[in-house]
Amino acid sequence: MSLRMLICGCASVLLGLTGCQRADEEAGTAPAPPISDAKLTVYAVNYPLAWMARRIGGESVRVLLPIPEGVDPAHWQPSPETVLEYQRADLVLLNGAGYAGWIEFASLPPGRLVDTARGLEDRFVAAGDVTHSHGPAGEHDHADVASHTWVDPDLAAHQARAIAGAFGRLRPELGDDFRQGLALLETDLARLGERLAAAFRGWPDAGVLYSHPVYQYLDARYGLEGWSMTWEPGEDPGPAEWEALAARIADKPAVVMLWEGEPLPETADRLRRMGIEPVVFRTGAAAPAAGDFLQLMEENLARLVEVDVARAGGDH
Amino acid sequence: MISVHNLVFRYPHGGFRLGVPALDVAAGERLAIVGASGSGKTTLLDLLAGIRVSGAGSVTVAGEELSRLTDAARRSFRLGRIGLVFQAFELLEYLTVRENLLLPFRISPALSQDAETDDRLIRLAEETGIAGRLHRYPDQLSQGERQRAAICRALIASPDLILADEPTGNLDPDNKRRVLELLLEQVENHGATLVMVTHDQDLLEPFDRVLEMRDLDGAKAA
Amino acid sequence: MKDILYLAWRYLVFNRWKTGILIAALTVIIFLPLALELVLDRSSERLRARAADTPLLFGAPGSALELSLGALYFSGESPAPLEYAAVAELGDTGLATAIPLHLGYRVGLQPLVGTSPDYFRFRNLAVAAGRPLALSGETVLGAAAAQALDAAPGDGVVTAPESVFDVTGTYPVRLRVVGVLAPTGTPDDEAVFVDVRTAWIIGGIGHGHENLEDPTASGSVLKRDDSNIVANAALVQYREITPENLAEFHFHGAIDGFPLSAVIAVPADGKSGVLLEGRYQAPDSPVRVVRPAEVMEELLATVFTVRQYVLAAVALVGAATLATIALVFLLSIRLRRAEIRTMTRIGAAPGRVAAILGTEILLVLAASVLLAGLLTAAAATWGDEMFRWLLLSET
Repeated sequence: MSLRMLICGCASVLLGLTGCQRADEEAGTAPAPPISDAKLTVYAVNYPLAWMARRIGGESVRVLLPIPEGVDPAHWQPSPETVLEYQRADLVLLNGAGYAGWIEFASLPPGRLVDTARGLEDRFVAAGDVTHSHGPAGEHDHADVASHTWVDPDLAAHQARAIAGAFGRLRPELGDDFRQGLALLETDLARLGERLAAAFRGWPDAGVLYSHPVYQYLDARYGLEGWSMTWEPGEDPGPAEWEALAARIADKPAVVMLWEGEPLPETADRLRRMGIEPVVFRTGAAAPAAGDFLQLMEENLARLVEVDVARAGGDH
Repeated sequence: MISVHNLVFRYPHGGFRLGVPALDVAAGERLAIVGASGSGKTTLLDLLAGIRVSGAGSVTVAGEELSRLTDAARRSFRLGRIGLVFQAFELLEYLTVRENLLLPFRISPALSQDAETDDRLIRLAEETGIAGRLHRYPDQLSQGERQRAAICRALIASPDLILADEPTGNLDPDNKRRVLELLLEQVENHGATLVMVTHDQDLLEPFDRVLEMRDLDGAKAA
Repeated sequence: MKDILYLAWRYLVFNRWKTGILIAALTVIIFLPLALELVLDRSSERLRARAADTPLLFGAPGSALELSLGALYFSGESPAPLEYAAVAELGDTGLATAIPLHLGYRVGLQPLVGTSPDYFRFRNLAVAAGRPLALSGETVLGAAAAQALDAAPGDGVVTAPESVFDVTGTYPVRLRVVGVLAPTGTPDDEAVFVDVRTAWIIGGIGHGHENLEDPTASGSVLKRDDSNIVANAALVQYREITPENLAEFHFHGAIDGFPLSAVIAVPADGKSGVLLEGRYQAPDSPVRVVRPAEVMEELLATVFTVRQYVLAAVALVGAATLATIALVFLLSIRLRRAEIRTMTRIGAAPGRVAAILGTEILLVLAASVLLAGLLTAAAATWGDEMFRWLLLSET
């Protein structure tokens, strides 16, 4: 081996090694940072929360509810890309009480989640679903709670206060604006609560049914002592369900059934023949086609006051 | 070629003394110097080569009085004008035969290779029968081949004078004769003068003159 | 000069064993202290940076070092667990952002880290391929982990069972790789990241199984009444969370009581950090707070003390080695007297001979320095991983 070759070889290796840099961060897609401009970017899991956020935040917030039209937010499963949108939000408004099961298995930053029902645990209502248990001695059993908390205007006001508090922590300089928005909202919700109370007067004695178990908090607030079926507006319940209903009202009569949407005409007719008046009471979980939450509740109220429960049930 | 006059040399620690009143060697002459071990043969060669310098007297080689030269000048003179052949061959074990032949050019800036050096090397190697051994190392050669390589090294710079100190001392009888013949042949080919020290009486016949060391105090032709 | 170099070179090459041993010995005594200093300095710099980047750590009462090593470097024993409620408590203070960490499981040899999206922003981790975590059951791999597991977005990796022989231990869960992070040169490169909820599922706190209310699951039903269904051992439990079976997964119990290994607290500002520490200083606090920077400084101080002793020992050995090498050279010169004499007699100046011998020494030195330099460069490239492995690897 010649001396010259060896020196050149070693020099090359040395230069190569010293020139070899550890791989630094390569250009790549960073986990998208929160969209932080002057407006707070707020994502919600249902329409009522989004509506309350807009009422409180006004122009200072950009509220998004990326749920496709016609999809029930309670059972919506967002795509991974949509979950990543939620990750980027300044705040994610959760309904709490187990609403929107997708939250449980989505990767979201805990510091930016607002459980608007936090503090209402002692007012949660059991869902009444069938539970399951497994493992030795049933140690893993669990039960669900009802999740449509906002249907009770009083609980909705609590949730609104949680939203306002979260806004104020992120934008303390806008605290006065948020408090003002909250105050107006609370006033509207209080008035709604009073009107619902008036509308539901006499209903407990008359007997109330629910087409679907989404009215638990309405039931609890106004003492309606109703009972839920699991019927869908666009479907015939089926013979077994009609039999169950008949057995139910034989035990405890009912004169009105609340529906999330218009039942089939034949279902409505059959109910009326049984002495039960179907009444549409939309919970507003999803964004209405027109108007806002209060307008939707106004429409609900209008239908409620049309029902004279004292006289309903007398025609069958 | 060589003229020694009243040379007196003593070793620094005392004891040995070499005295050569006169010695003349003509150019092209082949002179053998014989003597017992310890008689000063090697010392005389060292003085003729300029390796040692006498305290008294003069040694003139090729017209140069060596005692008047500086050490560096003597070394340059020796490199360029005198070739040395040693009894123990004294090839460097870590150089190939070719590299050993070119050693004189590497050990001093006074001697530099020219365009004909390589041709000369090849020719010497062919003439001495070691052309096929140039890339071998000394320990891969026979003793005869090693001495032939040493002879080539001594001749590579085309010296005027070859000083050989017992060049056949380590060889077997067959090789002795062959190597001596080779040495004499090369000396004649190059027109050089040869002074060879030996204690082997059987090898003296081809020489022009044989001197006894004990006679050099009043040296006369044998 | 060229001839001197040539002759010296030829001697060294011919005596390659001796030359090699001399070079090796010199290289070692040059390289060792350099490498030690380099590796320790760079590694300690990286360790300090990592610790300094992590303002506060919250954990269960116990070893601060264990908590720091686990949370920062995903190494050592998994710290004693604290409850997830600590995350909300921390967030409620308004003083810091809380980032949960769940440690202890592995995918192959890679540590599995359960956390939240805030972790990736906190550590400036960018996705080089695929996308970030969005759902449970997904995983994003560190750059080195992806290489080690030979996995890319779209592939699946399986968690290691907590104990092969523990029949009640966790079962392997298949995770879907959705992203691979860009390399960072930190322990994050080695990690398999999942959402903390996925880590709980791996730990068996959450699971998914066939819907017992579905008639097709009747074989898995032990008994049923109006309000409850009890499953039997034939219940099919899912070992992978997919978009199709995601709805069948659930947790048993309140999430606030679920375990975490640590919580990284990123204070809003310095004052917030001090206030936060003050709140958890009580001896009986169920949660302890540590400053990783202080913990690592203590650890490194110990390491550096040991370094001094090691350097002293290396210096002694080095001196002895140099003396031995000098002796070898001197003996070598004695053995080469005949060679030196030959060169001198042919016509080499004493200075020339000395220059050849000296050049041999210089060449050996130069080769040693060069080799030591190459090794030091290699140590600079891989040394801190080795140091971290030596310092932080599990026994």
